[in-house]
Amino acid sequence: MELNFACKYPFTEEGKQAIKENNIQINDEITERGVKRIVDALNRVQRTANPVHISDQLIEIGSYGAARMMLAHLRNRYLSNKFAIAEAKKASSLMARETKENIKRLQNELGVVPGEFEGKVVVPLEVYVKFSPRSVDYRLINRNVKEGHVEVSRREVLRLMEEAVKMKVEDIGLFPNAPEIVKKYSVKLMKLVPKTAPSKMSFKEGENPPCIEKLLETAKKHENLGHQGRWTLAVYLINKGVPYEKILQIFSNFPDYDERVASYQIKHAINRGYTVPSCGMLLSYGLCIAECKIGNPLRWKTWKRKK
Amino acid sequence: MQDWESAEVENVEKEKVMILKNFSDYYKNAEIEVPAVEQREFGVGGFKKKIESRHMGFKTNGALKNYLVQDAPLYISHSIAYYKFPESTPMERKEWMGGDLIFDLDVHAGMFLTAEEIEHVKRDAIMLVEDFLEKDFGVSKKDVTLVFSGGRGFHIHVKTPRFRYLGGDERREIADYIAGAGLDYKKFFGKVDKYRMGGPKKSDWGYRGRFCRMVEKTLEENPSSIHRGLKKPEAKEKLLGCMDDGNWSKTPIKDIIERLEGAAKEMKLESVDVDTGVTIDTKRLIRVPNTLHGSTGLIAKKLDKLEGFEPYRDALAFGKEPIKIRAKQDLPEQEFANSTMEKIEKEEEKEVPKSYGIYLILKDAATLS
Repeated sequence: MELNFACKYPFTEEGKQAIKENNIQINDEITERGVKRIVDALNRVQRTANPVHISDQLIEIGSYGAARMMLAHLRNRYLSNKFAIAEAKKASSLMARETKENIKRLQNELGVVPGEFEGKVVVPLEVYVKFSPRSVDYRLINRNVKEGHVEVSRREVLRLMEEAVKMKVEDIGLFPNAPEIVKKYSVKLMKLVPKTAPSKMSFKEGENPPCIEKLLETAKKHENLGHQGRWTLAVYLINKGVPYEKILQIFSNFPDYDERVASYQIKHAINRGYTVPSCGMLLSYGLCIAECKIGNPLRWKTWKRKK
Repeated sequence: MQDWESAEVENVEKEKVMILKNFSDYYKNAEIEVPAVEQREFGVGGFKKKIESRHMGFKTNGALKNYLVQDAPLYISHSIAYYKFPESTPMERKEWMGGDLIFDLDVHAGMFLTAEEIEHVKRDAIMLVEDFLEKDFGVSKKDVTLVFSGGRGFHIHVKTPRFRYLGGDERREIADYIAGAGLDYKKFFGKVDKYRMGGPKKSDWGYRGRFCRMVEKTLEENPSSIHRGLKKPEAKEKLLGCMDDGNWSKTPIKDIIERLEGAAKEMKLESVDVDTGVTIDTKRLIRVPNTLHGSTGLIAKKLDKLEGFEPYRDALAFGKEPIKIRAKQDLPEQEFANSTMEKIEKEEEKEVPKSYGIYLILKDAATLS
């Protein structure tokens, strides 16, 4: 039972304990599986392996540890973020059909413990702002807030938990003296990484307003961006006359990039001739980060010249 | 260390010496108490800049006080953050260990804050503390420190472990919430099922509740601004009924959501214009409470309550003994230190109470004569 939990959620204390108690040592089989875990994340293949055999379970738990070792050794933010998103999504789909008892264990572990206040399901405000996705629906201003509680639905609690898993998995420390086996498989892993990413973004400094710079920065850091952010960035670049190929290249930096989807969306935006959302809209999306008061991000250059 | 009495400063204009001497005298008896002082970074400023050097640290409040008496900086700020090594550079080496949540409320004032400006910013500060921090965020009063900034507004320090480790993005959510930035009241509405439209109700929390109160107020004062038909009591009742249980299908007005735009705009009045840039900066330096503001000579005073506070009466650091000044510009009549300061014309020389004279000199509106 415990091993089963650790196998499904290797990022938990139970996961760590299982490695310790069962003396799981890094070996070729485990590391090979670790490489597969990362490659699956890159290719967006979701395998919610649920092995029954203890030996398989131990390998499964070990593979998570091995994958993290390789990521710590490589210090490649793109890979780490992709891995974190995939692990979080995997955990989320498992949590959706999890027992109440296990959900409670996970909530305690992740620090997303919902409570009840005035008959509503709530989470503490500080937990909410930490783990809520950066999308307009989750903006604090649009929520029911009272005495430090934010009302959430059961589904939203799961979403917060998913974000918490992502942040936990993303948090990879330094690993200065990696054992040979980790180094060997890291080389192997890098050979399997698609060459498309990450790409360069050659914009001159100060060419874009702060909000757009921040969106580009997110891409540069290979961090995920919510729907509104992505849409704003695409429409801005299109309206600025950046060619389709370059936009696609920029988008390839996002950890959950899917060429088919991204290319369809960018082409769609080009064909529809969308205009760039106003500063007011960006404010409501939570994307406005400065007080340039230019009305629309596209006016940045003219405004700067005048200044 | 610079000693304002030493020979080195002999050449400094007598005006600056006078100011520094008075600042130093003030610090001899001032109550300066920075919580977790040993974990804070300090920055000081002088006649040229508000922050001329930073990355300073003090092991104790006593050491800080000694420094203030000795050096009498015009400005001194401490980090809102707690650091393991506050004096280390670059910033990453300091090792951030969380920080207070800070709000900065300012008015754009001229030479003097007017009574209306003071009232306005006080009202905002009270609303921020009572409506937002206490009612919405559940912050207890004991965790809130109110400080007059020494200039044009107030600094509100929130010290609670709950918010200590929030990053910039998370603090922005909080600041935007208080400022009502990006509020979209249409998000309060949504279809419950095929026939029913759900929306905010009076018992709702936060902005939803505020929105209902605004609609209620508009219905009372000017119902036809929403819809002509709402002059009829029964139509009004129906709309009020929507806000009792959140079932907005009860009103026959089809485009009711769009029609409530006016009431939603009024809601902006219920938010507080905090400086988001200050709140989101987790490494910000903020004026040390009870120290002097170098652009006014007023005390950045820690306050128990805002009601009744008058900066030109309650935040004065210097006495009433007269000093002679020469005005660099026309100065209006002004209430200061419980008296009415007479009008002064440009180039006119006049004896004024020291606190007023220093205020004018630091504002670059007069020189020591």
